Amino acid sequence: MYGWCGKVLRVDLSRGSITSEPLDPQVARDYIGGRGFGIYYLRREVDPRCDPLGPGNKLIMAAGPLTGTAAPTGARYVVTTKSPLTGAITCSNSGGNFPAELKKSGHDALIIEGASTRPVYLWIDGDRAELRPAEHLWGLSTHAADDALRKETREKAKTAVIGPAGEKQVLFAAIMNDRDRAAGRAGVGAVMGAKKLKAVVVHGEGEVALADPGAFKAANAKYRDAFKAKTRDNPPPLRTHGTAITVVGTQSHGVFPTRNFQQGTFEGWESIYGETLTRKYLVRAKPCFSCPIACGRVTRIPDGPFKGEGEGPEYETVYALGSDCGIDDLAALTKANYICNELGLDTISMGSTIACAMELFEKGLLKESEAGLPVRWGDGHALVALTRMTGMREGFGDILAEGSLRLATRYGRPELAMVAKGLDFAGYDPRGEQGMGLAYATSPIGGSHMRGDPAYFELLGVPVPADPHTWEDKPPLVAKWQDLFGVIDAAGLCVFFSVRYLVEQNLMVKPVGITELLNGATGAGYTPEEVETIGERIFNAERLFLLAAGFSRTNDSLPPRITREPMPAGPARGMVCRLEEMLVPYYRLRGWSPEGVPSEAKLGELGLLSNLKARE
Amino acid sequence: MKVHVNTFANLRDYAPAGGGSGEVALADGAGVADLLAALKIPAAVQAVILVNGRRSDAATRLNHGDEVTLFPPMEGG
Repeated sequence: MYGWCGKVLRVDLSRGSITSEPLDPQVARDYIGGRGFGIYYLRREVDPRCDPLGPGNKLIMAAGPLTGTAAPTGARYVVTTKSPLTGAITCSNSGGNFPAELKKSGHDALIIEGASTRPVYLWIDGDRAELRPAEHLWGLSTHAADDALRKETREKAKTAVIGPAGEKQVLFAAIMNDRDRAAGRAGVGAVMGAKKLKAVVVHGEGEVALADPGAFKAANAKYRDAFKAKTRDNPPPLRTHGTAITVVGTQSHGVFPTRNFQQGTFEGWESIYGETLTRKYLVRAKPCFSCPIACGRVTRIPDGPFKGEGEGPEYETVYALGSDCGIDDLAALTKANYICNELGLDTISMGSTIACAMELFEKGLLKESEAGLPVRWGDGHALVALTRMTGMREGFGDILAEGSLRLATRYGRPELAMVAKGLDFAGYDPRGEQGMGLAYATSPIGGSHMRGDPAYFELLGVPVPADPHTWEDKPPLVAKWQDLFGVIDAAGLCVFFSVRYLVEQNLMVKPVGITELLNGATGAGYTPEEVETIGERIFNAERLFLLAAGFSRTNDSLPPRITREPMPAGPARGMVCRLEEMLVPYYRLRGWSPEGVPSEAKLGELGLLSNLKARE
Repeated sequence: MKVHVNTFANLRDYAPAGGGSGEVALADGAGVADLLAALKIPAAVQAVILVNGRRSDAATRLNHGDEVTLFPPMEGG
């Protein structure tokens, strides 16, 4: 095969066995890879009603055909599993160098099943793979584990590890690869911890074989040249200032979530946004594999109580550990980010859970005696302390480790968790960004912006702008973008390059450039329409898993703060998210029933009907 | 009339008076296109334009006291 390695490694931790399986060429064609492979194997092999932390759940780590190639941003892999935080599917995406290394070792995907009784790690060295004891690594931070693992395998090997948070099954623990890149969302690290798998270490020296090297090279050059031409006059803000520059877009539109989404503007925003980060703490920009953008931030806080060094913060972290907690101290939130990376925590859910605790505290529902410290808005020392306590499940951190919805429910106010399907929102308030509300509510993993991110067209003007306040036009746009993101996540690309350069420059995006690169790499001869249909197939397959896990239309919802409490101030003042008005037409155009169930006709059209019946 | 302009990232190069933000005097009845010309922003340099927090474009009319925000198109976080 070309583009694909044609090989999947199955790792049974209960038996301690590793087997290599061929990748079915038809599955490769129909699902592309990455997120597509994730849902294909999850539906085929995992009972949607299983205990996410039990041995019946599986972790599927899958790269795409463009991962590890010279395609711009061909750096990504996706971890798919049933989430312990939400009970829904989760598929969390990360870049860095580990995913490309997996492809260079000759593997498209890993299926990790069962559970070990003792800590182990998986060492893949090209064709050879083995499980090794990891008792000596258990308890180590992600950075210390990375150091130790590369010392005892190969210095050049790439790692994906869990930290103490994953080991202790913090429900929003991340899997950290290349030290500071995170497959962060909805507890993939907790599933790895429950399986007692400390790390996957991989080394490979192969190259991804291309079906048509000439065509691939031409497509690659065309899009890289377009990037270079545009950036001559328009230096990419993500390279200059990192994703934290996005604060300018959200704050100016009045959708920068502040104090647990009580406000959409933050008075301290200039202290924590990208340009301030560049001026005060940036050491250098850091790209992932084959990326011309380089949005990653290597940073250093030279002195003071939060002295440290590491990577971050990204925009989502600036929102979650910053404005959402009323924190205007960039050093404090950056330090909390470093701790999240070292202990292996999702910065979004960490910040959102602390924000929820702060609101409970300020309302007098959470007492200082229970928390062990005052949990006030804007207290950077409390933020840092609570982050560490959560990662180690110490004291009140043991309660925060269960996430915002369980926390808010414990204090009798579940509506104060800013979540959809139990997953904390990203940094965009849907009251002033209507499409984002629909995207959060219908995302198969819950409150994520990465399942068809409307912020691109609603706030950031990419590829072209749309009005963030209108809702009538959003159902077809959101559906279209959700399908497109499925394609990007399946191909092994990053959205930052793809939505700007690899699609038609209009709102009804067509994955033209992605298709050219996929064809050059795989020789599959896809049309853009077929590729779009694969995105729709992935999205619908994820929906089927969700429904079989017990979710229904009532879970396609947002908290009353978003749908009933008008935004108090700023450009979105007076607005609520018109979710119900958007959901009905959205279901209809998706070919779903009024209850949000895909019709037989739609499943037939997507080739999911026989697949479903075969499993039953 | 006067409008208040905030610029960010590379658009700071065209800020009215260093520091990124400041007042710009325009003829009554002027629009965003006149403002962009007054700031000498070349056509090749792309900008997302907000007037009082609402998405606008070169054709948008301006009023005295308006707040205009200019930032480059970004690929989000």
